[in-house]
Amino acid sequence: MVASATNTTVKNTSYKVVLPFYLYAAISFLTATIFLLTSTEAFTGHYFQPQILAITHIMTLGWGTMIILGASHQLVPVLIESKLYSNILAYTSFILAAIGIPLLVYGFNIFDMGWPAQFGGWFVVLAILSYLINIAISMAKSKNESIHAVFVFTATIWLFLTTILGLAQVYNFTKLILPKGSLHYLTLHAHAGIIGWFLLLIMGIASRLIPMFLISKYSNVKLLRWIYGLINSALLLFVALFLYPGSEALLFIPVITIFIAIGLFIYYCYCAYQQRIRKQVDEQIKLSLLSVLMLLLPVLLLIIVIVFLISVSREQLNLILSYGFIIFFGWITAIILGMTFKTLPFIVWNKVYHHRSGLGKTPNPKDLFNSSIFKAIAIIYISGFILFATGILLGTTMLLKTGAIFLLLTAVLYNWNVLKVFMHKPEQL
Amino acid sequence: MKTINANTKIATLLKESPDALEAVISISPKFNKLRNPLLRKLMAARTSINMASKVGGCTANDFFKKLEPLGFTIDKNIIADDSTEQKQVPEFVQNITVADIVELDVRAEIESGKDPLNLIMKAVKQLQPGQVLKLINSFEPVPLILLLEKQGFESYSETVNDNLVHTFFHKSQATPIKEADTSKAGEGWDEMLQRFTDKMETVDVRQLEMPLPMLTILDALEKLPDEKALYVIHKRIPVFLLPELTERKFDYRIKEVADGEVYLLIFRT
Repeated sequence: MVASATNTTVKNTSYKVVLPFYLYAAISFLTATIFLLTSTEAFTGHYFQPQILAITHIMTLGWGTMIILGASHQLVPVLIESKLYSNILAYTSFILAAIGIPLLVYGFNIFDMGWPAQFGGWFVVLAILSYLINIAISMAKSKNESIHAVFVFTATIWLFLTTILGLAQVYNFTKLILPKGSLHYLTLHAHAGIIGWFLLLIMGIASRLIPMFLISKYSNVKLLRWIYGLINSALLLFVALFLYPGSEALLFIPVITIFIAIGLFIYYCYCAYQQRIRKQVDEQIKLSLLSVLMLLLPVLLLIIVIVFLISVSREQLNLILSYGFIIFFGWITAIILGMTFKTLPFIVWNKVYHHRSGLGKTPNPKDLFNSSIFKAIAIIYISGFILFATGILLGTTMLLKTGAIFLLLTAVLYNWNVLKVFMHKPEQL
Repeated sequence: MKTINANTKIATLLKESPDALEAVISISPKFNKLRNPLLRKLMAARTSINMASKVGGCTANDFFKKLEPLGFTIDKNIIADDSTEQKQVPEFVQNITVADIVELDVRAEIESGKDPLNLIMKAVKQLQPGQVLKLINSFEPVPLILLLEKQGFESYSETVNDNLVHTFFHKSQATPIKEADTSKAGEGWDEMLQRFTDKMETVDVRQLEMPLPMLTILDALEKLPDEKALYVIHKRIPVFLLPELTERKFDYRIKEVADGEVYLLIFRT
């Protein structure tokens, strides 16, 4: 009876909670690439302008955050060997974000920080709060501690702070509530989001999933603790330097710290790769591992940006733009493209087959999506990414346009493959 | 507590309450068989209260009387699926000639705690057209009757005395022998479980932390002899394991009994 009592707490999060997030993310990615194609001009100018703000927020919230929220509602209970505290909070979080994101993006796109942007901002903040509460209580109720879940939880706190600051920035346009203009806080907002939310979270989850998918016995909690400590101290130091500015050279300390953390994380993935049992690594994992390596690019760019800032006291706009592009369309997009087809087919498989599994042979979960389309996605995506990034650096509209078309095509194929999984009908048994 | 009725499986009772086993056994000495873990596994999942009451020579109400104090809620409105109603002596039994009877006595097998199912299925497969299998047993093998009826067998049970029941099985001519069943994709859990009854290795990964369940299973499969199957007790359907199995040329059947209780049968294709 004791055994069955602990067993009943292990329960998969319902697909009904998880799937809407995936669908929303797929549509957001498509929307973002359409925006990208129609506003390539914007990428030859300053980064603080309507279309770029709009695209960035579709990418960070609609694409990156939504899919992470979806996946982690499923994954966190597995990590802490417990169940999700509340499905209602999960739905709440989805609905609030689903309404808030378009409002916010609409506000940015017409550059009106009136009620749509403000309401949108509030919805997003509340969506993240619901998620934070849900994760916090789920973790508190579990007896199992997991370093990966600690990553997720801390990342969510950073995300919450990011959205609060973002909301204040939106209000700051119409009513001065911050000591300085909104643009001033952009670096803080962006890095709390990029480092605190995305980097911490993706590392926390990937450090569990990558070894698992490689079927590797490798595990190194001590190394992960170091990475966790380095990223958080770097970010706290960055916040301190932001609030109490000193020499710009000091910025190198957090950057180098993050660089070391990324280096350690790459080492972690390398060890997992070396000790893998599965000899043939599938395409989805290859793309995810490529994404891990892509992490080095923005750090290098950032170092160059700071060097420019110090030596010529000037912001290199195209470098900053490509820095953002590489992070959102490069690293984050690559890992999502790979991981979607490592998680979604299995969630849908569970939905369709778990009740009928006893009846007979069931199809292989990985056959729910089309692997040729996936290969096409990977190739077209990488080409589009390289073309567009080069376009930003060189300021060539032709490259930007071609790159944007490739990325749009990526999004179309991605949506197609995702829909194929969604529409999967059980085979006759 | 769970609501039960005449169609509730014995396995459900046993899972819901640890005291249900003793309660059921106290109804009729015939249910002593349930103490044998193998028979319990075998019978309980296939036998409903109604079927069991026939075997035990009692009524569903006798069950309800014993089970109610354990906290079960009884729903007497549900009428039992009565597919095993004693029929008239069917034609095939009336027309039997002694030469056509294949006798199989499984009493000793059951006494020694072994599952006779493989033995029975072997005999059934070897039946020539027109032949009748006469199964000699200590109780009416209701689950077996249902199982074989699904495969197109007619049956007839004749209770000789309290400890001796003869059951006749006969394949009606119209339905072809389902020989193809063993290779067909649609082969279900029950059939595969039968096929590997004596040839299973068991591994319980419920207490292991991720990703150890997968590694343990893959490890066990590496050492698994060719003709054997691996029986896995798991907390959830290990979806990420499934592609790995296909890659390693294994096939699988899954039985999800409840949240937190999943069984897998993994065998070579």
